[in-house]
Amino acid sequence: MALAVPLGLLALWELLARLAVLSPRYFPPPTRVGAVLVDSFAEGDLGGETLVTLTRLGSAFVLAAVPAVPLGLLMGMVKPVRAVVDPYIAVLFPVPKIALLPFLMILLGVGEAAFVLTGAISAFFQITISTLAGVQTMDPRLLDVGRNYGARGARLFGKVILPAALPAIFTGLRLGLGLALVAIVAVEFIAAKSGLGHLVYRHWQTLSIPQMYGAFVLVGALGLLLTRGLRALQARTLTWQEEPGRL
Amino acid sequence: MSRRSGWLAGHWLTVASPAVLLIGWELAAATGLLREAFFPRPSTVLAHLRRLIADGTLLAHALPTLGRIAWAFALAAVLGIAFGLAMGLWRRLRESLDPVFAVVYPIPSILFLPLVSFLVPRGETALIVTTAVTSFFLIAFTTTEGVRQIDPLVVEAARHYGARGRRLFTAVLLPGALPFIFTGLRLGLGFALIVVVAVEIVNATYGLGALLWLSWQVLKVEDMYATFVVIAALGAVLSYGLAALRARLLPWAQDVAER
Amino acid sequence: MKVEVDDVTVAFESHGRSVVALDRISLRVVAGEFVCLVGPSGSGKSTLLRVVAGLLRQTSGAVRIQAERPGTPATAMVFQEHALLPWRTVLANVAFGLENRGVARAQREARAREMLALVGLTRFARHYPHQLSGGMKQRVGIARALANDPEVLLMDEPFAALDAQTRTIMQEELLRIWATLGKTVIYVTHSLEEALLLGDRVVLMTARPGRVSQVFPVELGRPRGLEIRASQAYGVLLEKIWSQLREEVVRAMGDDRGA
Repeated sequence: MALAVPLGLLALWELLARLAVLSPRYFPPPTRVGAVLVDSFAEGDLGGETLVTLTRLGSAFVLAAVPAVPLGLLMGMVKPVRAVVDPYIAVLFPVPKIALLPFLMILLGVGEAAFVLTGAISAFFQITISTLAGVQTMDPRLLDVGRNYGARGARLFGKVILPAALPAIFTGLRLGLGLALVAIVAVEFIAAKSGLGHLVYRHWQTLSIPQMYGAFVLVGALGLLLTRGLRALQARTLTWQEEPGRL
Repeated sequence: MSRRSGWLAGHWLTVASPAVLLIGWELAAATGLLREAFFPRPSTVLAHLRRLIADGTLLAHALPTLGRIAWAFALAAVLGIAFGLAMGLWRRLRESLDPVFAVVYPIPSILFLPLVSFLVPRGETALIVTTAVTSFFLIAFTTTEGVRQIDPLVVEAARHYGARGRRLFTAVLLPGALPFIFTGLRLGLGFALIVVVAVEIVNATYGLGALLWLSWQVLKVEDMYATFVVIAALGAVLSYGLAALRARLLPWAQDVAER
Repeated sequence: MKVEVDDVTVAFESHGRSVVALDRISLRVVAGEFVCLVGPSGSGKSTLLRVVAGLLRQTSGAVRIQAERPGTPATAMVFQEHALLPWRTVLANVAFGLENRGVARAQREARAREMLALVGLTRFARHYPHQLSGGMKQRVGIARALANDPEVLLMDEPFAALDAQTRTIMQEELLRIWATLGKTVIYVTHSLEEALLLGDRVVLMTARPGRVSQVFPVELGRPRGLEIRASQAYGVLLEKIWSQLREEVVRAMGDDRGA
């Protein structure tokens, strides 16, 4: 049922393209795009390019998550840390992370490091903020319960604070992954010579339109899979939580 | 003790932290600890910024960016709120559009540039429409949530006291959704900035993004930093400006916005 | 007869099964009477109230309300969780029903102020609900209902969400207001003590499906104050009705455990 409308729209597109109501040059019928996709995977470079993007995404995500979660936790638990770090987050969060790309490219050259780092920074802020929120919005009575029943220090952290913040951390990771993907694809579009984002750009410039749509669709599918997949994972592991947010 | 100094005393770390960083940076760059080619002194950046303002370059690039953001935001806001309200009120519509939204939303806005340029030949319009795409989804989504989260008891009470149809909409549903709509607008505006910069990098000769990229290509590092400061300032103004506006206009709404 | 509930049944589908919330309820309320509906959870008391209010359509049977003053609404309900519109001031909330019926601004504000004075909240006319305590919000809810000058006042456990001390004060307030205005009231509550304090008659309802188990006249004199709780007549009545109510409550609890 949920697929009815999208499929309907695709069918409409197919029809309009075949009847040349929509210019088939610029709006190839979905079946053509599908065929091209299959071809590119089988004989072409599409698989490889997808892997490139995924690798960058994975690296960016890990690079972001590993410092971001502890930082968020620390900020939530230790006031001075929060006070020191807050201004940077406040100022840099609304900045388009793509604007950092030129600076990174000067420092690290036009290559993988700059691309991955841009993606990482995009995810980093989100994950930190979400983790911080997770600690800040936890029910303070849980802390009282913990202390009252003998948990202190590391125990209190491991058995009370961390699990309480986990849903928010997970949400932050999920959102961060999405942001990293957006950043990396955007960077590929603009500056890279490989990856799905770059493919979209290249096919656009060489007017290989069906291939362009193919890469485009692949990016969408990737984004959808990752966010939905993580959401399902979140629901699975954090069974005590009510339904995680929709975004 | 005046209120102002009270705030300062409590928040001195927050103020000191970036201050120390900037001072440290200035010294490190001046003494050669940091390579000035990569990390120019803040004072130098400031000087370049002043120059850019003085010779009109900044204005020449800032105005097109602001204009694009304004147009894109207006487009996204009007369509987003309209769609969002419709989807919030009519379950059928929401359920049929949801899958479409879910698939399109995660795609980076900038990838829409080619598609949009097929539909809309004129370059400037294509830039604006592309900038509007993700913002549109954000605003539509939060607006829908805004309608749906209204306490059903409040709606029932309003109905009981005679609010029907259009009256119910203007007196209850719209104000009830307003806090969320505002959050959506705030996020949408922020995203418009993000996308416009990216889009300008790709395809524009004028604009803050274009200026940034241009400065990079000719390796005018100080100009890059200066442009970045302007972009950051713009981001802050848009984001926090709307937040302040919200506090003014919607005094009854607790802060429902996540950052 | 002010209110006639004639053989009303309310049945609906829930998870594929047919649930009967109210089973052929009949009730007669005299003008100026204060009737309390008491029963365990699931006895349908709130459902009955909603049917009388016209918020819920009964499956069969009829409700008739004698209209003495054409132009005024048949009922006005005070909801359990106040259900005030958070984005309107206290004054605007009280005037809401009048506004929907097209009463001119000057008139409806005057009437709203009158009602606010009656409940003792004149000073808070320009406040927003979130600035008020629970008890105050509920007083606004009462003012809102009274502002409409309904034929029958309906109250759905209005003080259940308040703490015990506030609740006691509010009960006193209600008695005072009712003595002044002399409205016909149908009042739903879980608390037998409250029902005996406030009502002229107590209608005991059974566990689901809701039927009228028995009706008890409350002959404790008027005007009544909190001090009657210490009287012997009150104690005797409480004992008598509770033994019956208890059976129903246990049955309802058993139902829950079985379900």
